[in-house]
Amino acid sequence: MKEVTAATRRKVFIGVLALAVLLPASLVAFKLLVLDYPMAELIPTPSYRVEINMQVQGHGEDIKVSTFLPRTDSRQNVSDELNSSGALTLGLEADALNRLATWKADNVQGQQDIRYEFSAQVRHIRYTIPDSLRIPDHYPAALVRYLGDEEGIHLNAPEIASELRRIVPEANPTMRSALTRIHRHLQDNYANRNFAGYTDALTALKLREASCNGKSRLFVAFARNLNIPARLVGGLILQQGSKRITHQWVEVYINGHWVPFDTINDHFAEVPANFLTLYYGDQVMFKHTANVNFQYFFKMTKRLVPQPAAETALSHSVLNITNLYAAFEKLGISQNLLKIILMIPFGALVTVIFRNVIGLETFGTFLPALIAAAARETGLLWGLVGFVTIVFMSAVVRKGLDWLQLLHSPKMAIMLITVVVVMLGMSVVGVQHGLFELAHVSLFPIAILAITAERVALMEAEQGGLKVARITFMTMIVISACYVVMDSLFLQSLILAFPELLLILVALNLWLGKWIGIRVMEFLRFRSLILERGR
Amino acid sequence: MIILKSLMRQIAEVRERASHVLSMNRRNLHFIYPRNARKYFPIADDKLLAKEVLTPVGVPMPQTYRIYSHFFELRDLEKDLAPYHDFVIKPAQGSAGNGIIVIAGRDDDGNWRSVGGKIYTLYDLQKHITDILYGIYSFDLGDQAVIERRVEQHPEMLRLSPLGLADVRIILCDEKPVMAMSRIPTKLSNGKANLHQGAIGVAIDLETGVSTHARLLGEEITHHPDTDIPLLDCHIPCWPEIVDVALRAAQAVPLKYLGVDIVVSTEGPMLLEINVRPGLEIQNVNQRGMLTVLESLAQPEVNHDA
Repeated sequence: MKEVTAATRRKVFIGVLALAVLLPASLVAFKLLVLDYPMAELIPTPSYRVEINMQVQGHGEDIKVSTFLPRTDSRQNVSDELNSSGALTLGLEADALNRLATWKADNVQGQQDIRYEFSAQVRHIRYTIPDSLRIPDHYPAALVRYLGDEEGIHLNAPEIASELRRIVPEANPTMRSALTRIHRHLQDNYANRNFAGYTDALTALKLREASCNGKSRLFVAFARNLNIPARLVGGLILQQGSKRITHQWVEVYINGHWVPFDTINDHFAEVPANFLTLYYGDQVMFKHTANVNFQYFFKMTKRLVPQPAAETALSHSVLNITNLYAAFEKLGISQNLLKIILMIPFGALVTVIFRNVIGLETFGTFLPALIAAAARETGLLWGLVGFVTIVFMSAVVRKGLDWLQLLHSPKMAIMLITVVVVMLGMSVVGVQHGLFELAHVSLFPIAILAITAERVALMEAEQGGLKVARITFMTMIVISACYVVMDSLFLQSLILAFPELLLILVALNLWLGKWIGIRVMEFLRFRSLILERGR
Repeated sequence: MIILKSLMRQIAEVRERASHVLSMNRRNLHFIYPRNARKYFPIADDKLLAKEVLTPVGVPMPQTYRIYSHFFELRDLEKDLAPYHDFVIKPAQGSAGNGIIVIAGRDDDGNWRSVGGKIYTLYDLQKHITDILYGIYSFDLGDQAVIERRVEQHPEMLRLSPLGLADVRIILCDEKPVMAMSRIPTKLSNGKANLHQGAIGVAIDLETGVSTHARLLGEEITHHPDTDIPLLDCHIPCWPEIVDVALRAAQAVPLKYLGVDIVVSTEGPMLLEINVRPGLEIQNVNQRGMLTVLESLAQPEVNHDA
């Protein structure tokens, strides 16, 4: 029982605060200056884990399924490929441009699932076409095939030639002006149609609207007509989630480079970092034996990975972070989970600011941060839907059970069962309707929601439904803020490269722990004392 | 330039006014944490423990009829309650007036009738006490149920507050009174003296015991909305005794920033409850911040817990 004076306490506080700032600051400086951490390469890049899921139904026949797989080139890096195809055997063949995968089996009975996975990192690329560049008269022999007619292009159709003369009337246009006008014409004067089927160049021209493949064929027809080599490119727009749609754009041969154009999404001489090339030429993505009830979808998961260059650079350094993550992987802790864990402190900081500086009330101190972490599996929207559903169900079930007059603990047990059933129900609905994000609601940590349910029930009993509704709303605001911060790729990269920055969060919380200012909500509450007529 | 200057002046004025208001963060960090060690919280949280500490030093509190700690004791509830015409059932560790039933008498069927006219069967009362024992009203920790004597209001208080039991909340820091208000139940508040639920907050001048402001759900008022009785310039009965009870209580407990809730019965003031985290709304009720007073009263900050 020693009396500690305020002065001593203050000294210790300042000491700890200084340590929490200086230690990580010097570690970061040491890494950057002495260990020569390559800062730009340290920032992990987004990578997509892509699954091609296919399904066939056999009735004793020989089955063959084929599709294109992406290849590594200067723009995209494809790695960690994994095939799981059960009874079907995989064969790979490659020509100069494409990689074709074929799965085969004889006398197939019943349903067969094929899943091919790979990781892809893709760069954004943009070309500048010199103003003065003219369209050449002659090309090397290898390019002649990109100038001729082929099915669906209708190179020699008079409609195509006359339309082209209208938009590019001069006899000898520059490469840049001709392509600009073709691109703008197709982008601006042709409506985008969300149509999954095949459209040839002439049909697109007549309808003045088309999906990606129709516009791309017409682009190729125009370009070849002007003696510019052009080809179709098939690929996948990478984005978190599941889909069945592939995309097509074109590449035009300019000055020794194949330059990309997309007149659906208005990319002129560029492709964004999430366009993964799967094949070149006018190809069909999937080919399969008839009458096998062929089904497919793509599933893509976005995640951050260390850049390959940084990985090799860091494996030689003393404080090797990539090895650390490798160690975690060996323990069965995925980098993704590690990242969620590392981001929880950020969510906690956001919650502290909302509670102590702004003055919003939430269910539980750190429930918003934990729910935001859980919502990373489902996306923010479905996370909030899940949260509100649980709160609502808890309140309703609690009301019902109250009427039955049950004792407290069994009542809570029934509510917990309700939570589990609701979450299972949401997952089933999600799977059946193809809402795969919703299906992940089942991964919502049950413990978190059980706590929520119990708090909701107690608060409802003590302070009424209106209060519960208010706090639910405020909690949703804080969850959203936590989610945005915790989902920030920048912060994730930073914390993966410099885990010592967690100490800075400690420092911020130390400072907030001594912050005695008036909360924003208190300004409103005491406005008559502060704003109107203070005495 | 002139606009900027006037803006700066206005900001300075707002800052000056804000500097009188005690905020939640400052209350916790500068007043509650240094003065109220957590280990002493039970004295405030547990009304039975409070009675043990305060009754010997002459702080009047309502007489305890019975205490229930175990479920099996409820078998004899009917027999236990038979001698009492009216009484109060409350959780020993409840807060904000939750879980309190005030029984005014029995009807012809032998059921109990609350002051609000609600009928309670024996089963209802057993169920309510069971809920209390399970900790529904005390953050899920096991609790005790207390059967207490029902407080009869002083006639002057009854005139001001005919719709329920009004109390006087006094905030004390380092054993000195800081600010006071009375909380008067309304129809809206369902007879509860809880400002959030629609009770009237009436500012009381500490020196004289005279009411100076009245506030209902964020609006200044002058009359009771249900009875139309004027609420300003009223004398709270037994004011010197009320302040004396508050001071005695503050001196007797090792909690040095607290709110005491006192009711004025026909026999004089009675302390109902001690609160270690008294709310900040009392400043709005008084139309005055209490930080300036607090800082002039407070002793240099020392730590009582280390």
